[in-house]
Amino acid sequence: MSYAYLFKYIIIGDTGVGKSCLLLQFTDKRFQPVHDLTIGVEFGARMVTIDSKPIKLQIWDTAGQESFRSITRSYYRGAAGALLVYDITRRETFNHLASWLEDARQHANANMTIMLIGNKCDLAHRRAVSTEEGEQFAKENGLIFMEASAKTAQNVEEAFISTASTIYKKIQDGVFDVSNESYGIKVGYGGIPGPSGGRDASASQGGGCCS
Amino acid sequence: MQEAELHDLADDADYAASQQQGSASLMRSDSSRRSSGSEPDGAEVVYLKDNVTIHPTQYASERISGRLKLTKQGPSLFMTWIPYKGQGSNAKLSERDRNLYTIRAVPFTEVRSIRRHTPTIGWQYIIVVLSSGLAFPPLYFYNGGVREFLATIKLHVYLVRSAEDANVFLVNDIQDRLQRTLSSLELPGAVGVASGLSSSLPVGESLSIANQERTDGGSFDGSASHVQNNGRQRQKVQDPARDLSIQVLEKFSLVTRFARETTSQIFGESHSDGYGASERRAHNQTPHNYSSSGISNDVEKVPDEVPVASDPLEFEKLTLELGKPRQAPLMSNEWSTFFDSEGRITDSEALRKRIFYGGVDYMLRKEVWPFLLGYHPFDSTYAEREYLVSVKKTEYETIKNQWQSISSDQAKRFTKFRERKGLVEKDVVRTDRSFSFYDGDDNPNVNLLRDILLTYSFYNFDLGYCQGMSDLLSPILFVMKNESESFWCFVALMERLGPNFNRDQNGMHTQLFALSKLVELLDSPLHNYFKQNDCLNYFFCFRWVLIQFKREFEFERTMRLWEVMWTRYMSEHLHLYFCVAILKRYRRKIMGEQMDFDTLLKFINELSGQIDLDATLRDAEALCVCAGENGEACIPPGTPPSLPIGDGSLYPQQDDDIL
Repeated sequence: MSYAYLFKYIIIGDTGVGKSCLLLQFTDKRFQPVHDLTIGVEFGARMVTIDSKPIKLQIWDTAGQESFRSITRSYYRGAAGALLVYDITRRETFNHLASWLEDARQHANANMTIMLIGNKCDLAHRRAVSTEEGEQFAKENGLIFMEASAKTAQNVEEAFISTASTIYKKIQDGVFDVSNESYGIKVGYGGIPGPSGGRDASASQGGGCCS
Repeated sequence: MQEAELHDLADDADYAASQQQGSASLMRSDSSRRSSGSEPDGAEVVYLKDNVTIHPTQYASERISGRLKLTKQGPSLFMTWIPYKGQGSNAKLSERDRNLYTIRAVPFTEVRSIRRHTPTIGWQYIIVVLSSGLAFPPLYFYNGGVREFLATIKLHVYLVRSAEDANVFLVNDIQDRLQRTLSSLELPGAVGVASGLSSSLPVGESLSIANQERTDGGSFDGSASHVQNNGRQRQKVQDPARDLSIQVLEKFSLVTRFARETTSQIFGESHSDGYGASERRAHNQTPHNYSSSGISNDVEKVPDEVPVASDPLEFEKLTLELGKPRQAPLMSNEWSTFFDSEGRITDSEALRKRIFYGGVDYMLRKEVWPFLLGYHPFDSTYAEREYLVSVKKTEYETIKNQWQSISSDQAKRFTKFRERKGLVEKDVVRTDRSFSFYDGDDNPNVNLLRDILLTYSFYNFDLGYCQGMSDLLSPILFVMKNESESFWCFVALMERLGPNFNRDQNGMHTQLFALSKLVELLDSPLHNYFKQNDCLNYFFCFRWVLIQFKREFEFERTMRLWEVMWTRYMSEHLHLYFCVAILKRYRRKIMGEQMDFDTLLKFINELSGQIDLDATLRDAEALCVCAGENGEACIPPGTPPSLPIGDGSLYPQQDDDIL
């Protein structure tokens, strides 16, 4: 399977906010409430199409517990996009966003696109963080924002794809210097859009994961 | 911000005092500089301390003393620790040990943090952690001088106290952009660290990318033939690894087993290294391994792409020779022969050996595990154990009652408890739920997991609860089927593995450091490969070590592996040899495909469910035999799952040396 680009995503946020469920909903279109808790990191992948170009998203789903922060930091390298997730029913997961953002800013590429996701919006009756607060935080920190539900799949597709579109647009705008392949790889995505949509899969794979 | 952080340090009375000592050490260093003629040109010794010692094993006679120095060359500061040449108790110190432990002029640009340990009894020591995640073994200051050491560093590099832990000092922890600029002006050498933190690519990057492009482009521009030729010529070209191999074999005193000519014959051949297994895997992808299916076509072409340095130990041969065949599990009729009339296990060594080679029949685990875990002493009688069980049951109920009696009103004012309970409750419903013992709604066994973990977090309030613990408890509860007994077995296990869950991850870092040393010893080409590809932190083995391969095998196999490791028959650290054994099985694929950190991490993750337990155990045994005491010397004292000695800290003192 060939693709024009490979984007590395990383999903971060407190434990239990639904990172793995968002990933599973996106890759497998199903909700599995009894998913094993994540130790270290898990991987998922899916193809999406942006501007008629096939783009492969390789997604790193990380462990959320504080103790594992030092190891999570080593996963940021070479990520083009990050999904920063909190749980709208648990205030503390929102309060910790600043510290997650600080980690991302410090350890990831400066041009990494960050999408803020308020997950579990199906549980509106238990809401502890208003949509406006989420919007406000995103605005103050230059993030894209969406509320989503891994359970009902609301906005899940949109969150991953809109992040990809933003990254793609940055490429088009020349934010990333893709004329030089090594620069392109350096910021975490691979593949030069050729006439038929790029090089063979392994080539892009190699470039995309390069760290 | 910088001012605030400086103030943070100056705030500490200890530190203020050390600042004064710091200038004294500068003066003192002048005289020491004259006495040491080994400094490179232009290097100035700014700190020197004798009798700084490492404890490679728990035995006092095997400690290695040396001289710790800080030197300044231009704007850069370096740390050096050189063991003394054979004197006193170090008379036996071999060149190899000296080389293994010597710290040669490490620039502070590569240092991430320094942790100071100040035990109430015994010597102060420090642990230096590098940006790569590697840590040096603890350095014990027999003559004091830790504060002075830190103060001296602070005079030359940017050092701040960690906000999270007052005993951790962060080196070059620069967050503010302005500071970064200022700092790079003062310290040109710091750029490497700054770029590492901000995730710019390290220097070696461009090289590996160039390689990648070369192979990637292969199918398009005809350079493929060139690449493949390389592969075909491999066997004719003089293999630099061959000489190395002989060296390594000499290290292991295996030259007697393998005559030199045999050795070169062996290493001239290419071998399979479990390659077949991974190929099979590629054709057997689950949907979740989606991304690999995208590259399935290159699995076939990869083996010829990059010549791979030979395995210095001809591995399959070693396994045949040194790893004994696995046996059938221990059954109850044989088990009963180990007891005397009163129920003591008379020959625990023989029992452990038997279990090491065969494991335990599943019906018998409930009886055997409490011994292996150290909950029941081998030399206890039936009556003593019966008594212990009843006393421990009461004790368990008492501790459990501590958190059960917290009213909801009290909980409102007890954030730490609420958080801990919330975390445990979230995790037990995400632990082995596809396994029938824990599946379904309102499964009482899930509630037992919760109660035991919460009770443990009160029994060991300092450690509390950390993710991964539920993975360790789950098989124990499944085997013991009894709440109190499961709890005490878990307590016994955590006596050894607790440091895996320390907040500062020190237990993990120590094990990953030991692992890197073992790979260096047992497969230096692979070690060099990891080094070149910035993989020396061994984070790709993190999950293996943290929860003892629980996620790598199905439930029954995990229990088998655990009981074998718990015998501590060959080594207390069989799990590290087991890691090396897996890596060696896939070394050819890892190096042949030029995996970088990300690819390697993903590859290792996806080995889950693919590892042959019995074969890998035999390999691990062979490696353990092969490495002998050189292997054990790679593993710093107190490395989990070794029991902490003395005060219970990770690197404790020995009682006999205190006075």
